[in-house]
This record gives sequence, structure tokens and C-alpha cells, in this order.
Amino acid sequence: MTSRWRAYLLGILGIAALTFPFLWLQLVPDFNRDTIGVAWAPLHGLQFFIDLSPVFAIAFLIWLGVQLNRRMGWSTALAANPTWQSAARRWTHYWAWGTMPIVLSCVFFFSASSLSLFTTVGIYMLLALGLNITVGMTGLLVLGYAGFYGFGAYFFALAQQNLPYFPWWMAAPLAFFLGGGAGYLLGLPCLRLRGDYLAIVTLGFAEAFRELMRNLSNDDTDSSTRSPFLQELAHIFDTGGDKGIILSDHSTFGRMAGLTGGQVSYVITALVLFLAVFLVQRLYHSPVGRAWMAIRENEVAAAAVGVPVVQMKLLAFSLSAAIAAVAGVLYGAKDGFVSPDICAFQQSIMVLAMVILGGLGNSYGALLGAALLYLVPEYLKLMPSIIGGNPVLSAIVPGFVRDSLQHLSDYRLLLFGGVMVLMMLYRPQGLLGSRRRKTEMLHK
Amino acid sequence: MSSGSTLTEIVINGISRGAVYALIALGYTMVYGVLGMINFAHGEVFMIGMFACVYAMGVFSVAWGDHVALNLGLGIVVAMIFSAGYGYANERIAYRRLRKAHVLAPLTSAIGISTFLQYFIFLTVSKEKVNFPRYYSDWLTSHGIHFAGVQVTYLQLAILGLSLVIMGALYFLINHTRLGIALRATAQDQLMASLVGIPVDKIIAFTFILGSGLAAIAGVMVAMNNNVLVFDAGYRVGLKAFTAAILGGIGNIPGAVLGAMILGLTEAMTTWGFGSQWDDVTTFAMLMLVLLLRPRGLLGERVADKV
Repeated sequence: MTSRWRAYLLGILGIAALTFPFLWLQLVPDFNRDTIGVAWAPLHGLQFFIDLSPVFAIAFLIWLGVQLNRRMGWSTALAANPTWQSAARRWTHYWAWGTMPIVLSCVFFFSASSLSLFTTVGIYMLLALGLNITVGMTGLLVLGYAGFYGFGAYFFALAQQNLPYFPWWMAAPLAFFLGGGAGYLLGLPCLRLRGDYLAIVTLGFAEAFRELMRNLSNDDTDSSTRSPFLQELAHIFDTGGDKGIILSDHSTFGRMAGLTGGQVSYVITALVLFLAVFLVQRLYHSPVGRAWMAIRENEVAAAAVGVPVVQMKLLAFSLSAAIAAVAGVLYGAKDGFVSPDICAFQQSIMVLAMVILGGLGNSYGALLGAALLYLVPEYLKLMPSIIGGNPVLSAIVPGFVRDSLQHLSDYRLLLFGGVMVLMMLYRPQGLLGSRRRKTEMLHK
Repeated sequence: MSSGSTLTEIVINGISRGAVYALIALGYTMVYGVLGMINFAHGEVFMIGMFACVYAMGVFSVAWGDHVALNLGLGIVVAMIFSAGYGYANERIAYRRLRKAHVLAPLTSAIGISTFLQYFIFLTVSKEKVNFPRYYSDWLTSHGIHFAGVQVTYLQLAILGLSLVIMGALYFLINHTRLGIALRATAQDQLMASLVGIPVDKIIAFTFILGSGLAAIAGVMVAMNNNVLVFDAGYRVGLKAFTAAILGGIGNIPGAVLGAMILGLTEAMTTWGFGSQWDDVTTFAMLMLVLLLRPRGLLGERVADKV
């Protein structure tokens, strides 16, 4: 026992020493002589911890809940309860018919800004759902998922540039097939690679695609591109470089059936999402899904019992790519603007974190993860104005908490990284994962 | 400028880039050789090395003034210590418990650590680029020797010389010392190694520390050469070094060096032929091609899938 505490103490001291200069010192460049000095900056380090205080509070509450649950045995009692079991089963079977009218009717009750936020969440849900097919169901790690997302968005943007009046409802199905085709072509040679190599190839694909889109620009006057072929290509497909493409109003979501553009984008995203969830769930509970599961658990054994491993992997890969491409079209049609940032590595990481948090291999988990990781930081950002508007809350909540809530959106990616590590260490199956998935993750 | 000197320039530029990539690639390849996992956070350890060096030089210049050689030398040592510390911490916190887990688990955890460290520096040090203090790197980057009509800076020479010395030392360490034997035994079979009394945990930690120290040296060199430090520097350079490691055959130490040199030369040629903004496209295209055509790399051995 004492040695364990000593180890913890040593660990904390070690981490404090390693982070000491970055937290408690500040660089002071001397521009006259081009040298550098440091200054003692205790407030700077303190600010970091104060900004993170809501996170510590939430983490403490979660820890408390887990400890209480362990002592009281709530979750085991609930899982053993037959009424709950059948209710949960019925819910997952018939949920769509119940929730669809509720979700769709939201369009009349929320403001334009909330609907825009929900549409973005819907697009992330679609991405998480698609990525879950490869990472969660089939066990193929894809690190460049944003590449396919960007592929769809740029396909739409470039197509509407060259074909005037090219509408979103034509782009979305085309993007589905083209994205699927791109996934198929990339997957065909890749899928014989081992898991971690596949991750890197897809990452390379996304990065190469992003760089290509950044550099295929026509109006770049100081361009040092010397290859005539690339210049010719940039004439046909002008991506506008880092500035991106602004889509024409004819192609994006516009007024339709008495709804405004924002309402249309919400309804369409919701419908596409329902369709995708239905499709994926049907596939997962079909022989195809069983084959994916078998590949995930043991590829060699799956091949030995006659699962067509390569075909099934390709199907999973191209389906998930197709879903991402459709999400890309939706994004372009919603915002009317496409830039290389949408295929940035951070996007891929964000979607991966959503899938991992929600539960690898569980479609509803992916949706939950997307909602949590996108909405929680957004709402925390809104909290200060809510607190400020309420006299009781503004009297209770100290000012520094309000400030830190405002800064918290900067900390988003830091927290995503932390969530990924902690989930892998303590709950590899995710929030909605099964015990079976946990055993799979913890053993080779 | 005659075409002869252009060619020399490309070659020198390529080799000095390659030497930096080699130092980082060695870290990837050693960890892969021992644990069979891609240490995705290695690029961030490299980035930490850059920043630790600048902080250390700042502290020294406040403490006893601007002595170029002393501060720079000590700065590199401090950078190595910090990077090694971060490498060890990553292994201890994020990887050790997942050593027996499914491939996805440690990889995801590594990506998490990598994102965490990047944004830790982003939030605590600087959201913008930080300039490397010119006062310390000026002499090294603006003076040099003339070779075949091209100026080779002292920094490029230092990069090349240091890399050669380190690689030689590493080769000796792995092939001719007891530690190296223990390392190779751990790479072959952890269980058997532990049965013959090799402290497997310590050997693995040592691998991380060694690789991270090398990455720190590369970090300081790159920071001096490019004159800027930025929180996501490790991601890009790390990915390139990783490409180099795969190109040569991951897990294979001479392969990493060979792959890094090929990559450096290709990049220098791309910069010359198409413009520097196409560097990354070429790198990633090459990575994909290598993985597709010869996944085991140039010098790698074919590994059978374990059942």
C-alpha cells in the first residue's frame, strides 16, 4: 500500500517537473539582440488550471458516480431487471418511429442558430456513424476519415463551379456512389495491409488530398508551381487554395415548401441521418454484419470458416467512405463554403474520439458520442450568458468560473486527446459498449 | 547558377534533411521493433525537445548571460532530458497497461496522447509560431564551407556529423553490448526474455527513453535550421519520419536510415522541380505507394500474421 502511494507521489512529482517550464515560465524574446530570456509567470499556469476547473468538476462527478454505482450495484440490478431488458430491446427496435416525428418537429420550435447547431451535430453524427462501420464493426482503423468527407465536399463544390445550377439533391446521391468508389479504389490495395498500416495509408490519403486542394489554385500569383500539368489541372479545377470555394446559392439549401434555408438543411440532414442509421443497423444485424464482427474478432479464423474477408472489408470501407462523402455534400450545401480545413487531421481525430467515447461497434453509441463531444463544449460556451441572465445563478457562481467556461472551447482538442487515452485505459468498450467488446479490446 | 551546382545543392539539402528524418525515424523503428506498435506520439516528443531547448536557453541566459556555445550545448542536453522524460511518461501512462491489448487500443491511446501534448503546448506556450533565438543559431546557419561551388552551412555539417556519430553508437549499442542483446531478446519474445531474467519493463522503457533523446536532438537541429517552433511541428515531421521508417522496413534500424535518406532526397528534388508546397503531397504519395507495393519496406523481412 505505501509503495503504491509512493509511486503515485513520484509520478505526480515527475509530471510536475516535466510540465514546469511550459506552465510556470514564459518566454521573453529580446528582439534587439535576437536572444531569449524567461520570466516567472505564476498567473499563466494558474489560468490553465482555472480554465480547466469545470472539466475537473465534471470528471470528479463522473468518478463519484462510478464509485457509487460500484458500491450500490445499480447498473447490475438494472441489467438483471426483466422489465428494463424488454423495454430496452423494444426501444432499440422501434426507436425510429417514435423519435422521427419528435426530431422533425423541432424545426418549428427552435431558433435559426440552434437549428444550425443541430444540423452541424447531425453531420458529425453521420460521420461518426460512417466511421463506426470501419473502426467499430470491422476493426479497421481509419485515421484519414476527413479525407472522404473533404472528397464529398470538394466534389460538390467543384461540380457546381463547372456545371451551373448543379443542385445538392443531385450531388448527394452522386457523392454516395463516387465516395464509395473512391473508398473501394483506395481500399482495394490497402486492405491486405495490417491494421496499423491501414491507419497510416488512410491518413496519408487525407493529407495528400488536403495538400492537393490547398495547392490547386488558379489565382495564386506568387505560385512557384513549375509543372505545366499541375497548372493546367488548376485551370479546370480551381479550388481557391486556402481561401476555399464559395458555393452559388442555386446549389445550396434554399427555401423549399415554405421552410427557410436553415430549416431545410435541418430536415434534410435529419432524414439522411435516419436513413443512414436504418441502413447501417439493418446491415449490422444481417449476415454481412456478422461477417464484419467475425473479421474484427479474428481475421484468420473468419477466413478459415469461409467469410469472404477481402470483400467484406471492402464493403465496410467503401460504405463508410460513401457516408462521409454524403456528409461532405450536406456540409457544403449547409454552409455554402468549402475550404481545405474540413479535411484536416483534427477533424478525423474528432470523429474518431466521438466513436470511441460512444462505444466502438455501437451505432447509437456513435450518435451519442457525436452529440456529447460537439454539444457539450458548445453549450459550455453559452453558459456564461445564461448565468449572467439569471440573478440567482450569477450570485452563486464566481466570476472566474464564468470566464473559464468561455475559454473552454479552446481546450476542446486537449480534452479529446485526454478522453481517448482515458477511455482506452478504463473503458475501452466506450459508453454504450458491451462486455464482450471490452474483452475483445483488452486481449490480442 | 550552373546545373552542376544545382544538383550538388539538391543532394546536400536532401542529405541534411534525411539525416534529421533518420534521427526521428530511429525512435519509431526501435519502438516498433520491440513492441510492434506505432508510437504515434513520437513526433510530439520531438516538438517538446524543440521547446525545452529554447526554455532552457532562456533560463541560462537569465542565470549567467548569453554564452552561445555553453547555453546551446546545455540546451540540447536539457531538451534530451525533457524529451526522454515525456517519452517515458507516455510509455508508463498510456501504453504499458495496453501492451497485451488489441492493436487498436495502444494506437488510439497514442493518438490521444499526441493530440493532448500538441494542444498542451498550444495552450500553455504559444498559439503562434515562436522564433528560435537567432543569436544562438546565427553563426551555425550563416557560415560554412564551400564545396563544389555550393555553401554548406556548419549547421548542415553538424546535423550530418552528429547523425553519423549517433547512428554508429546506436549500431554498436544494439549489436555489441549486453543491453543491446537484452533489447533484441525483448523484441523477439517478451515472455522468453523475462524467463531468462531480462527486466522487460525496464528494457522497453529504455527503448522509449533512447528514441526520445534522439528525437530531441533532431528537434533542436530542425528548430535552428527553420528558425521557427510551432506546436504542430511534430505531427508533420513525425509523419515524414514515420514514412522513412516504413520505407526502409519498420523495425529495421539500417532500413530507417536508408529510408530517411531516400525521402530527404526525394523531397529536395520535389522542391526543386515543383515548388516547396508540393513536398507533403510527394511524401504521402510515396508513403502510400510503398505500403501498397512493398509493405515490408526495402530492407524489411516478411512477417507472418500471428494466429
